Order: sequence, then C-alpha cells, then structure tokens
Amino acid sequence: MSELVLQALYSGLLVGGVYALIALGLALTFGTMRVINLAHGELVLLAAYMAYMVESRLQLNPVFAVPLAVLVACTCSALVYLLVDRIRKNRELNSLMLTFAIGIVITNAVLLIFSGDVRSTGSPFMQDAVQLGPLFSMKSELGAFIISLVLVFALWQWLSRSWYGRAVRAVSSNRDAAKLMGINPARTELISFIVAGALAACAGVALYSSSVVHPALGHALTVKAFIITVLAGVGSVPGVLAAALLLGVTEAMTVTLWSSALQELVGMTLFLVVLLVLPNGLFGTARRRG
Amino acid sequence: MNAMRRTAFALLAVLYVAVPAALGSNNYLMGLVVSSLIVAGVAVAWALLGNLGGMVSFGHAAFFGVGGYASALLTMKLGIPVLLAIPLAGLVAVLFSVAMLPALRLSGPYFALAILAYAQIFRILATEMEFLTHGSGGISQIPVLPTIAGFDLSSRTGQFLLLLTLLAAFLAAYDAIRRSHYGIALRAMHDSEDATRVVGVNSVLLKSWMLFVSAFMTGVIGAVNAHVINFLEPDYAFSGIWSVLPIVAAIFGGYRTVTGPAIGAVVIYLVDQLVFKALVSTGHQIILGSVLALMILFAPDGLLPLLRNALRRMRGASHA
Amino acid sequence: MLELANVTVRFGGLTAVQDISFRMGGDQVVGLVGPNGAGKTTLFNVISGLVRPASGSRVLFAGGDITRLPLHQRARLGLGRSFQIPQPMHELTVRENLIVAQRFGAGRVDPRKIDRILELMDLTDQAERDAANGLALQELKRLEVAKALATEPKLLLLDEVLAGLETVAKRAFMAKLRELHETLGLGILIIEHDIETISSLCHRVAVLDFGQLIADGTPGEVFSNPDVIRSYTGAEPVVENAGVGHA
Repeated sequence: MSELVLQALYSGLLVGGVYALIALGLALTFGTMRVINLAHGELVLLAAYMAYMVESRLQLNPVFAVPLAVLVACTCSALVYLLVDRIRKNRELNSLMLTFAIGIVITNAVLLIFSGDVRSTGSPFMQDAVQLGPLFSMKSELGAFIISLVLVFALWQWLSRSWYGRAVRAVSSNRDAAKLMGINPARTELISFIVAGALAACAGVALYSSSVVHPALGHALTVKAFIITVLAGVGSVPGVLAAALLLGVTEAMTVTLWSSALQELVGMTLFLVVLLVLPNGLFGTARRRG
Repeated sequence: MNAMRRTAFALLAVLYVAVPAALGSNNYLMGLVVSSLIVAGVAVAWALLGNLGGMVSFGHAAFFGVGGYASALLTMKLGIPVLLAIPLAGLVAVLFSVAMLPALRLSGPYFALAILAYAQIFRILATEMEFLTHGSGGISQIPVLPTIAGFDLSSRTGQFLLLLTLLAAFLAAYDAIRRSHYGIALRAMHDSEDATRVVGVNSVLLKSWMLFVSAFMTGVIGAVNAHVINFLEPDYAFSGIWSVLPIVAAIFGGYRTVTGPAIGAVVIYLVDQLVFKALVSTGHQIILGSVLALMILFAPDGLLPLLRNALRRMRGASHA
Repeated sequence: MLELANVTVRFGGLTAVQDISFRMGGDQVVGLVGPNGAGKTTLFNVISGLVRPASGSRVLFAGGDITRLPLHQRARLGLGRSFQIPQPMHELTVRENLIVAQRFGAGRVDPRKIDRILELMDLTDQAERDAANGLALQELKRLEVAKALATEPKLLLLDEVLAGLETVAKRAFMAKLRELHETLGLGILIIEHDIETISSLCHRVAVLDFGQLIADGTPGEVFSNPDVIRSYTGAEPVVENAGVGHA
C-alpha cells in the first residue's frame, strides 16, 4: 500500500511539472492583460498534435516537433492577442467569450483534421521505463518533468531579472503609469502572449510524448491551468509551480486511493473552495476577486 | 409598447397554427424545431441572468442536467405525474443553484468559471451516484409526455406546442421582471452597484433571485427535454453543449434584448443542423465557435439590434 | 440620532481615520470640514457602510448599532447620502433613479412625491433624460441630493454638494437645504470647504485633520480655534502637526 502511495506521489509530481508549464502561460497573460485566455489549453493541444504529425508523417522522435509546435502555438497565441485587443466594450467578459469561442474553433479544427481518436507516442525510446529506487516512470515522463522545471525556472529568472519582467509587472499593476515610464503596454502584452505560446508548445510536445492526447483535452487543460492559476494567486511563479504540483499529486492520489472517475472532482472542488474561501489563492499577494 | 405586445401575440398565434400545419407531417423537421425550442428556452434563461443579473454563466448545463435527472427520477421512482414533475424539477434546479450563491460575490469572469466548475461537479456526481442515476449507463425509458384531454403531448406537434407555450411564458415573465422596479434596479446595478446599494437596494438578494429564476427556467426545459428524448446519461445531460449553444444563440440574437436570444437560438440551431452539419458532419461546432467569435468582435450587441438599427436607418432614408 | 464611538479606519498601513468619537442629533445641521485627505469622505463611507472600520469602532444610528449592517439596510433605516463625485445609477433616467431610491430606500412608490422632489431640486425638465450621460455636473449634484431625499431619510450625509457653485446658485441651494431641515425635520451632516457657507448654514462644525477630530463646536468657536486656523491656512509648518500635537 505505501509503495502504491509513494508511486502515486511520484507520478503526480511528474504530471504536475507539465501542468506548471501549461498554467504559467495562462498566468502570464492573465497577469499582464487581465484577460483569461480560455483558448490556452487548446494551444497546448495544437502543439501536441504537431508532435503527433511529425512523428507519424516524418517518423521522427516527437522532440523534433518543438520548432514547428513553437511556431504554430506562438502564431496562434499572437492572433488571440490581436483579436482580444480589438475588443473595446466590456473587455473582461467579452474576451472570455471570445477566447472560449477560439478554443471551440481550435478543438474542432483538430477534430476535423486528425479525427477524434486518442493518440500517443509510438517511440520505444520515449516509452522506456526508468527506475528511481522503488519508483517507476517512462523516460518521457521524467524528461518532460525535468524540462518543465528548467523552463519554469528560466521563466522565473527572466521575469524577475530582465527589463521585460519589470515591464510586465509595471503593466499589470498600472497600465497608465507604465506608459509614462516609457513602456509600450501593447508590446509587452504581445510578448507575454508569444511567450505563453512558446510555453504551451513545449508543454504540448511533452504531453504527447508522455501521455495520451485527444481533441477534447484542450478544454480540460484550460480548466486545469485556470484552477492552478486561482490556487496560486496572481503574481508568483513559484506559487504556480507549487499549485501545479499540488494538483498533480492530488489527482494521482485520488486515482490510487479512491477512483479515477473522481480525479476531476477533486480539482474542481479544490478550485471552488479556494475561489470562494481564499480570495488571494494559496500563495498569492493581495488582490481581490470580489 | 401595446402595439408591440399585440404583434407578439399575433405572431405567437400564427406560430401555434402555422408551424404544425407546415411541418407537422415531417417528423424529422418537427423534431429539429422541437430541439431548437429547447435550446431557445435555455438561451432565454441564460440571457435573463446575463442581462438582468449582470452575470455571464459558462455552466447552464448544470441546471439543464439537474432538471432532466430530477424529472426522470421523480416520475420513475416516485410515480409523480410528468406534468407535475416538470415544474418540480425546476424547483430542484433552484435548490441546486443555492449551492452557487457564494459565487455571486465573485466578479464577472470568476463567476462564469465557477459556474462551469459546478456543472462539472454535478456531472461527476451524476456519474458516481449509481444507486440513483445508474451512473454512466444512464436512465432509459423515461416516461413520455402525457395525453391531455385527448391531445397527445408526446407527438412532435404536442411537444412543439408545449415548448412554445413554455417559451412564451418565459419571455412574458422575463419582460415583466425587466419592467418591474426590480428590473430597473438590476439594470442600474450593472455599472453602478455602490450607488444602487446606497439607496437601499439589496443587490445580492436581487442577483440571487435572478439566479433562481434562471435556474428554474433551465431546469424546467431540461425536464421537458428528458421526457422528449426519454433517455439520459451524465455526459449528455450535463454536456458542455447546453452551456455553449445558449451563449452563441443569445449573443447572436442580442442578449440585452428579450426576444433576441430565443430567435437567435432557433436560427442558430436550425442552420447548424440543416446546413453546417451537412457541410461538415464531425466538428461542425467549429462554425458555432466562429460565429460566436465574429459576433463578439464585430457585433457584440447581437444581430437583432443591428438589423433593427439598419431598418430604422432605411426608414429614415425613405422619409427624407 | 448618529453616534460614532472610537471609529478608526486603516487602509493597509495607512490610518485614514483615527479614533473619532462624535454624536449629533436629528435636529442639527453640522458641517464637517478639514483639508483634503483629512478623512472626511472616509468617515462618510464608514457611516453609510461602504468602508468597514477597524475593530473596536462603533457606529450607532437611530438607537441601534449599525457598525456591521450592510449598505442597503442603512439606507432603509433613514441614512441618505450623496457622493462627492456624483454617482447616478447608470442606464436609468433621472426619474427612474428616484423611483429605485424610493422603492427600495423608503419601501413604497409614490409618484407624486417623486414629482415634488424633482421640482424641489430643479430637475423636472431633466426627469426623462439619461442620468449618466445627459446631465451637467450641477444637475448631477442635485440628482445626488434628490436620490437621497427619495429614500425618505432621517439624516442626510452631503459630500461637497455646494462646491463649485457660483454665489447665486449656492445661496439658492443653501436655502433649499435649510427648508428641508426645517420642514422635514431632517438632520444634515455636510462636508464643505467654504468657511462662509458653513458659518451661515450650520449650527455646529466638526473639524478633521489627519484623520483626527481636532475641534467641534459652533462656527464661531471653531473658526477662532488656533489649531483649526493652523490646519486650515497652513500658516505654520503642517508636517510637524502630522497626527500628533492636537490632543
């Protein structure tokens, strides 16, 4: 029993790493533009299908799909930004519905092009088992986790050290003041969306390599990313990582100890409890949603 | 205004007679019309919450599913007559919406997504509570709509007349609320909540009422749908489509108008089923998504107000 | 009628209002004065329920403790207020603004009374206009008072309704306020900068400075108080007075 729990903990952590990568993109655009991009999970989905395409058509390891996935996801993400930026009236809610609609379009485009079948990597290299003491995983799962951590760390450093990072914080706290400081808010926002697209691309390839994908996954990923963002509270990269790992572990534990059908229930309940009881998330700085 | 109401009644009377007369013999088309009215009912309920309550919901499937299951279980387990079970199912949906009251404190986007979470939770509960709902296997042989005074409500025409009546009642109720003092106060709350509360309006209570009314309407429609389809499973009853279609329909028709969402629903649903589905069978929702995106970008107030303005302009031009 | 006991308000680390105790009867017209940022509007927000004071603070009105009472219930108890920056109810006409205030604040509908309020506040001609987009600033200020009146208040909190009016209009407005006070027996607590206006309108003046009540008395007493003169004219370095030295 304890071995089972330990294994669940481990698997949950590994998945949580990829969740963090997905959620960071959403949190980044939300932080800069106050817009919840409900098509973010669909960007990840798109990237995952790019990996599938590269593997199935070119017989290449899905890792080689990263450049293509980045290109596609960043383009789409930038497009989302340009469209959202056109909205003038009631931006908060209209952008929500617009990105929701874009998500529907992407999901159904994937469905049309790649059919609704479940896809996963066929590469034996990726599926090889790795043993860490008593704990097992696929090589790709461990790899995805490590790469995710590296990217999360890189993003964190970039946000806290670079000029752009300061610009993001300036724009998100006060757009007009940022303008006076010589920051171009529109450019900063666009960069956020492009970076979010790149993160989504890496996450998508990692997801395809270590797990299974199907068209309906995009929406589920968006919801997970949003749950994590809410858990984390706005404005903290380590918070997002912690919340993502927490969600991954909680889900894995639920599956092991309870039932796989309840996996989603736990995430949703956690989400509602935090949303309704803790206005600043688990790790966030003060900011009310009321 | 009276002239408008008279036109509405006349139109309704025409619909009562003309649609069954024209399509009554075509079971397939009549079935589509019935389904479009079901979507219209949810769209009106969604728009009522959005327009009067100022709250956009991404999870009306929650009420739709609860209504459907409630009515199926009330009739099958307790033997309650179908026509009594339907309004009761609406009340059960209201009961479930009480669980959402804490979410009313959240601002727009958070409320929208919180309701989405509720819908997911309800779906999972419906799947897991097998003793009550038969889990993912679903409930089949849900009783059909009864025959009243020799008139068979379970026929396509009967279903149509029942749904049209319900829809007309919803629209009338919506309009009455909108014109009442409560409606005026709700309208004021959109952009000036503090100013409205400071003169004595209990904004939370008013919003709660709108949530209840919307949940009731959606629950009732979900119940009728269960007795039309005669089969329910969690993935169908709580399907995201019951959240998405009403949004598209209401935005398309103009969610700040009373009749827009209903008309939008019928148009969108019929065009989707008759045209889009013929063009692309799987993934025809891509078109619904595109329509929603285009509407938000270019005509966020909906097509109906747009048409009305165009008409006014044309009339203005002809007068000149 | 209204009593504040040890009211303190903190925003983060900043203390906006510090330990204010104050009471006024329903038969009084009281001026609340003080330099910008002294905490006058914050105090109004505490009384009307928009801002929650720190623990230990108490607000009593009409014989009951309303410290924790929600906004809308205070209006129903008879607290009417106007905002310094007018906040008309959007998407509503002027008349509808008053209808909502009357229906929910006073709990009844009386169209004739609304007509009377419109007339009193010189808004009859504007009654059917869009309140948020169709009014000039002075009309908006009168609408603020009209809304408060429609709730049938026992006490009016007026936040700079007279500011920016030219002399004739100001006199007329003041005459109206006096009339309201006398005919309806309405208590008035009014924020106003102009000493002359305050002196002629109010029986009593309370002075706030840096969140503290530094003087309270008849206009004559208060405006000859050296502390008040100092805080008002800034004749002496104000910085050294910050928060201390008035006790």
